[in-house]
Amino acid sequence: MKDIARQSMSIKVESMDLLNGQIKMEAHASATYLAMASWCEQNGFFTSAKFFFKQAEEEREHMMKIFNFLVDTGGNPISPEVTDINHDYSSIVDVFESTLEHEVKVTQSIHNIVKKAREMGDIATERFLDWFVMEQVEEENTIRDILDMIEVTGTEGVGLQMIDNQVANWID
Amino acid sequence: MNVVFQSTYYTLYQANNERCFYIDFGQKTVRMSLCQLLSLRHKLMSIAIENHFDSDLNSHGFEVLMLCNKEHLFVLNTLEILDLKKLVDHGFMEIGISAKTVAIV
Repeated sequence: MKDIARQSMSIKVESMDLLNGQIKMEAHASATYLAMASWCEQNGFFTSAKFFFKQAEEEREHMMKIFNFLVDTGGNPISPEVTDINHDYSSIVDVFESTLEHEVKVTQSIHNIVKKAREMGDIATERFLDWFVMEQVEEENTIRDILDMIEVTGTEGVGLQMIDNQVANWID
Repeated sequence: MNVVFQSTYYTLYQANNERCFYIDFGQKTVRMSLCQLLSLRHKLMSIAIENHFDSDLNSHGFEVLMLCNKEHLFVLNTLEILDLKKLVDHGFMEIGISAKTVAIV
């Protein structure tokens, strides 16, 4: 019997399912950052809003990278349904702490796919995710640096205004 | 055409010369590309079969499946859905793009 399926598709269907899950996660992250940008705009943190608009775009780019990988490998990329986006935050500190939590979850999910791809011997998926592994190190580091800056600056007096101004250092 | 896998109600075939697959649904046989087979797999995976056992969530116990870009429409009951899931699951193992291994019975 000819290997028609393998000739049409370069990765395993289980990898495809995991990557479709990651597409959903990146889309959710993008929508979450957009909600954070909205919160920042409404609460007078205009520089932080710019930061989150940029983050939202980046997450969408990540999503499209995975989407296009599935197209290139002959898979079936699924346009994700995005629900349950939180729009309520108690403070700017809460916003950045939630961001770090979110990034850690994304990192764990990517590491999980790498491990599964390795178990399956799916080298293409494993190598494709190399870029994401390093990108997550950078993303987590950025948010950790911002949280460190918040701690050093403090939120008393003009602290909040100074925090917002300094977020500009992390906008390329 | 080569038989890839046969379940209780359905049979998956591979047609080498046409580079496609066929599923015999009993009342009709449907020609499918790999993309369409992947799409069927996704639709089946999206079905919450546990809802079939809760009369509030799925009172009739049926699923409507539209296949091959709305070319075909099937109304399947719980047992047929489970059997189709089995066909697709084993079928993907046999055609070599699933990491799962075929259990030796």
